[in-house]
Amino acid sequence: MPRRISIRQSVMAADEKIAGLLRRKLSEKKILMLNLIGSPGAGKTALLEATLKGARFRSAVIEGDIATSRDADRIARTGTRAVQINTRGGCHLESHLVQKAMEELDLDGLDVIFIENVGNLVCPAEFDLGEDMKVAVSSVPEGPDKPLKYPHLFSRAGAVLLTKVDLVRHIGFDRGLFWGDVEGLNPLARKLEVSSLDGSGIQEWIDLVEKWVGEKRK
Amino acid sequence: MHEFSLIEAVIDSIEERSREGSWGRITKVTLKIGEMRQVIPEILQFSFSVASKGSSMEGAELVIIELALEKRCRSCGNSWKGSASRCTSCGCDDTETVSGMELEIESVEVEE
Ligand SMILES: Nc1nc2c(ncn2[C@@H]2O[C@H](COP(=O)(O)OP(=O)(O)OP(=O)(O)O)[C@@H](O)[C@H]2O)c(=O)[nH]1
Ligand SMILES: [Mg+2]
Ligand SMILES: [Zn+2]
Ligand SMILES: [Zn+2]
Repeated sequence: MPRRISIRQSVMAADEKIAGLLRRKLSEKKILMLNLIGSPGAGKTALLEATLKGARFRSAVIEGDIATSRDADRIARTGTRAVQINTRGGCHLESHLVQKAMEELDLDGLDVIFIENVGNLVCPAEFDLGEDMKVAVSSVPEGPDKPLKYPHLFSRAGAVLLTKVDLVRHIGFDRGLFWGDVEGLNPLARKLEVSSLDGSGIQEWIDLVEKWVGEKRK
Repeated sequence: MHEFSLIEAVIDSIEERSREGSWGRITKVTLKIGEMRQVIPEILQFSFSVASKGSSMEGAELVIIELALEKRCRSCGNSWKGSASRCTSCGCDDTETVSGMELEIESVEVEE
């Protein structure tokens, strides 16, 4: 007769443990960490560039991409410290990769760490990186039906940003549908519209991050 | 989504426990998977049959217990199945997820 052994252990126990360690360290150092998630080309890097140009808080960026250091180079041009992680085919970041990237940062001089996850609306939503909040980034040209088609990200995000709103007058966009579905999935998420091109909404976003920074310092 | 890497993590952690406990051949592995975890059972089964080759659970049966999304209202105690994000009874948004997020190795069966 086979013997049954109860295990009751999370499949991702190793990674969750690291995420917990990172969260504790960030809370000691009073650093806010935001995990930006959205499809390829949603405008994550452009949003970060616009944010970093206007922000007063001290930031660093961890860039996740399958290959190249292009996004980290773009961030570095704004004068902000950027660490590139190449996942070599991996479709999302995991906490042990973030842990390694954080070793390259001077945590004593920081208020915020932005993580730009690998462009992907699906997998990154599943992985805890030790962040304070996931930020869903969805752009006007992707269409307004994304929240319901990809509910996992939108229902777990602490904030939802609709980007490239300057394009609405060119290609149209059903705002009511988009925000209605987001509200249905996630009534507590902060909801903002931004354009990194013409700057609309960027100051509100920066003010919001600044408010979170203040709350983290307490 | 990450069925293959999930299965590799499952096999690695069971192998570790197996070495520590000097278990015999493993004949059955039971997982609990929440509906919100974007995992497709068929792909999980296939990944397991491939990735378990050469391990102590080669040929073992993989049982997947799927758990539906269930939420509870912290304010009135009502609970409901499905993705409604506001309480279906009092309408408030102070809710918590009771199940549907699991990704757990529940148990194994080992030959004596
Ligand atoms: N019109 C308009 N275009 C934008 C805006 N933000 C970004 N773009 C354009 O959209 C394209 C993709 O922007 P990125 O910031 O590189 O997008 P990303 O999400 O970082 O992409 P990946 O890192 O590849 O996933 C670029 O050609 C940008 O110029 C915006 O607010 N308005
Ligand atoms: Mg980018
Ligand atoms: Zn994936
Ligand atoms: Zn209620």
